Amino acid sequence: MKNEITLQTRREFLRTTVLGSALSWTVPTFLADTFMALHGEAADSATQIVTGKDSTILVVLQMAGGNDGLNTVVPYSNDYYHNARPRIGQTADKILKLNGDIGFHGAMTGFKNLYDSGNLAVVQGVGYPNPNRSHFRSTEIWQTASDSEVIEKYGWLGRYFDNACAGADPTVGVVVGRQLPESFFSKKPTGICFDNPQNYRFMSPEHPQPGQTDSTEAAYEKLNELEMSSPLPDDNSGGSIGSLPAGMPMQGGKAVDFIERTALDAQVSSEEVRNIAARVQNQATYPNSPFANSLKLVAKLIGGGLPTRIYYVSQGGYDTHTNQIATQQRLLADLGDSMKAFVDDMKAQGNMQRVLVMTFSEFGRRVNENANGGTDHGAAAPMFIVGSKVKAGLLGRYPSLAPQDLFEGDIKYNVDFRQVYAGVLEDWLKTKSAPILGRQFDPLHVV
Amino acid sequence: MLKPLSKDGWNYESAAHLLNRVGFGGPPDEIARLTDLGHDAALSSLLDYEKIPDHTPDPVWAVPDLGRAERQRAIQSMVPEAKRQAQQAEQRAQNQHLIELRGWWLNRMGTGPRPFQEKMVLFWHGHFATSFEKVRDAYFMWRQNELFRRLGTDYWLRLLTEAGKDPAMLIWLDQAQSRKEHPNENYAREVMELFSLGEGHYTEKDVTEGARALTGWSLDRQTEQFIYRPFFHDNNDKTFLGLTGNLDGDDMMAQIVKQPQAARFISAKLWNFFAGQPPPDDLNSALADAFVENARCFKPFLRVMFGSEEFYSESIIRNQVKSPVQWLVGTARMLQCNLPPGFISAAIIRSLGQDLFAPPNVKGWDGGITWITTNTLLERYNDAATLVQGTTQQLTASDFATKPGGAGGVVLEKAAQRVHIGGVDVDKILTLDERADKEKLVASLQHRLLQSTFSNKQDQALRDFLDSRPKLNDADIRNVVRLVMATPDYQVT
Repeated sequence: MKNEITLQTRREFLRTTVLGSALSWTVPTFLADTFMALHGEAADSATQIVTGKDSTILVVLQMAGGNDGLNTVVPYSNDYYHNARPRIGQTADKILKLNGDIGFHGAMTGFKNLYDSGNLAVVQGVGYPNPNRSHFRSTEIWQTASDSEVIEKYGWLGRYFDNACAGADPTVGVVVGRQLPESFFSKKPTGICFDNPQNYRFMSPEHPQPGQTDSTEAAYEKLNELEMSSPLPDDNSGGSIGSLPAGMPMQGGKAVDFIERTALDAQVSSEEVRNIAARVQNQATYPNSPFANSLKLVAKLIGGGLPTRIYYVSQGGYDTHTNQIATQQRLLADLGDSMKAFVDDMKAQGNMQRVLVMTFSEFGRRVNENANGGTDHGAAAPMFIVGSKVKAGLLGRYPSLAPQDLFEGDIKYNVDFRQVYAGVLEDWLKTKSAPILGRQFDPLHVV
Repeated sequence: MLKPLSKDGWNYESAAHLLNRVGFGGPPDEIARLTDLGHDAALSSLLDYEKIPDHTPDPVWAVPDLGRAERQRAIQSMVPEAKRQAQQAEQRAQNQHLIELRGWWLNRMGTGPRPFQEKMVLFWHGHFATSFEKVRDAYFMWRQNELFRRLGTDYWLRLLTEAGKDPAMLIWLDQAQSRKEHPNENYAREVMELFSLGEGHYTEKDVTEGARALTGWSLDRQTEQFIYRPFFHDNNDKTFLGLTGNLDGDDMMAQIVKQPQAARFISAKLWNFFAGQPPPDDLNSALADAFVENARCFKPFLRVMFGSEEFYSESIIRNQVKSPVQWLVGTARMLQCNLPPGFISAAIIRSLGQDLFAPPNVKGWDGGITWITTNTLLERYNDAATLVQGTTQQLTASDFATKPGGAGGVVLEKAAQRVHIGGVDVDKILTLDERADKEKLVASLQHRLLQSTFSNKQDQALRDFLDSRPKLNDADIRNVVRLVMATPDYQVT
């Protein structure tokens, strides 16, 4: 009951207090953002944690821009490495050693801690055949799990939703951010997307008394009921428009049909998400960064029992063509510290055993540094898997940096990223991977 | 071959479609005027914008800052704390200019006399997607915006070449730092992949050779101008897209634009932007042919495109998701109200996913249905209320505190800046007759805002709402306007 009261108060708060007038609901959302951020603590007084469904949860973490794997998991005793990177190479005194050969970048104390406590696996040398060095194409390859030469329409998580989550609540997939990533594109639109739970609602100017209807909200709901001028095609008919990336042919579907579906998902999910975000409190101290805020929100939603199987968050800025040292220092510290806080939060909630975090980046970078204190687009790089049930430690083999083992100056992969996806799908999400990945890959068992 | 639209095909609906796509839409009067002009004259009135005077003054700070390089050097030699403060002060000034720049451009789109010219600037901004996040200089961002205004409907070779020599682009894709000893491949790759040919129409070898050809293109920080530096240029032979010689950047751009694929690539991209979906292969062949026949010059090519029957086909009309800019600017134009103050307008479209001068990456905005998520849809519905109802009281900047995030953590700090959103003037958009008759009221708003009609069920929802109000006051009517905007139907054009 207390929760409901808090929520009610919060809602009234937003409606009436921001400007002290009945017109407060017309305030631009970014103003409301600011206001709510200032007064957020006031509404977070209720702390009851509800454990929802007990299915496993996958958090996909995109390190956007192409993270330099070599300076992340550093082969500090390798001469090839130091010769290739006279300016930006990380020396043995700076790194957090994992064994006699390799160690984490010095900023990654959070990761080192997770590694030491058996909650982190490093999958070494991950990539795919015929690597593409374009951000967009390579991101697309990772997002759709396609072969390098093949353009896939749907994302790998979208295909998971289509194959394994039929009839699920729209919150089965949650993206913290403004845009749906391509990995979520599916035949049937699935998944929701938001970055601020407080504003994730339709705002009405009315203040109905209990028992009265809000006629504005009633009109909104009716105006946004499904019309579907053309019905969604079934699974075998080649896709609905909702699943198509921008600019893809609509195949007879109308843009407005897609928007109707989205409007419905928005209506259904907004109440639920706002309730949880207002009610659940984080139980760990996170860094102060947009990325940490994303993980904080995910932690709340997990704590609140949203029936979500896939969360998607991203951290950008890894495209370090110039001045890499400072940039990577900042990003990797944020990554490690935020992840450590998230794990602490999950443990405090008692949900740690349900959660697996998997990172990816569209490519690693060239072995040789460039002339601007940075690195250019490369190929294979490590992935990180975090969870209490991971096969902690080093998985796969560290790729050779000997010149004869490189391809056009790039590291060759030892593990196809789709083997990792296959392992996660089969061992963690408990579903067959072949229908989702297009064929059977030899799963890399990460848990 | 593209078929010209038949005489019968020109009517109020097609005129509205043309105005929506070539510009940002407009009120019923303006559409009726275009309808009466006839198709040809309507096209001329929009496309031949040079004939329309546009006296918009440049932002006052939009001049080269000749002392900047010197100041930067001085800052580099300061002690750490002073250095940090000086850098912050410089960046604050840049951020403030950028806020003004956003408002300046949005106003040109919203109330300027040349909507098509501004629509083309918007297209090129999304195409040569360059971000202040890396460029960090509002003057350079403004210059690029002006370049698109100046050459936006010119020859492809001229625009492509100038875009590569543009200071913001030289910084954005690292060309300014490329030299023969270490050619930077970033621009060589992206110019082909994203700006001119598309993935799969060049080899990795073309990228490395192109990067060598481009060496020498650089930026003079002193004058804030493009400069060709002969000492940076690799004078050895290169082979680029089949052409061998001591090629430079100009040769490279000419060789790109000559490729048949270059015509196909840009014609498809323009069709997609204006028509709302990629052209089928045969249509794109016809478009590319028309582009080449018109000497690869955009103005005459687009006139053929906007004159074609294909552009008015049923699958095209009212089947494009409005971009946030189109949504905001179009709303102001259709409802004949002013845009909110520049920084509020900019904040609205940013929260809807289109942060001007800060596209998400070099590919620009994906557009189409990716504009619509559960989040941005609800925001559109709520921002509609902001625009339509307006703020009845004056706020000061102190009400906003600061807003972290956005382009470089832009701080809204103009202490006394007044915030006022006018809202919709009900008497301007409705006749007394329409105000008095609920059926006419609903019909009039659909005609103005959708240029189409709702389903019976939606009609009924609006009628139910109106019936719940015994006597309609202005606020009620504004609320109905907002409800019409809070529908899937209003999100497409």
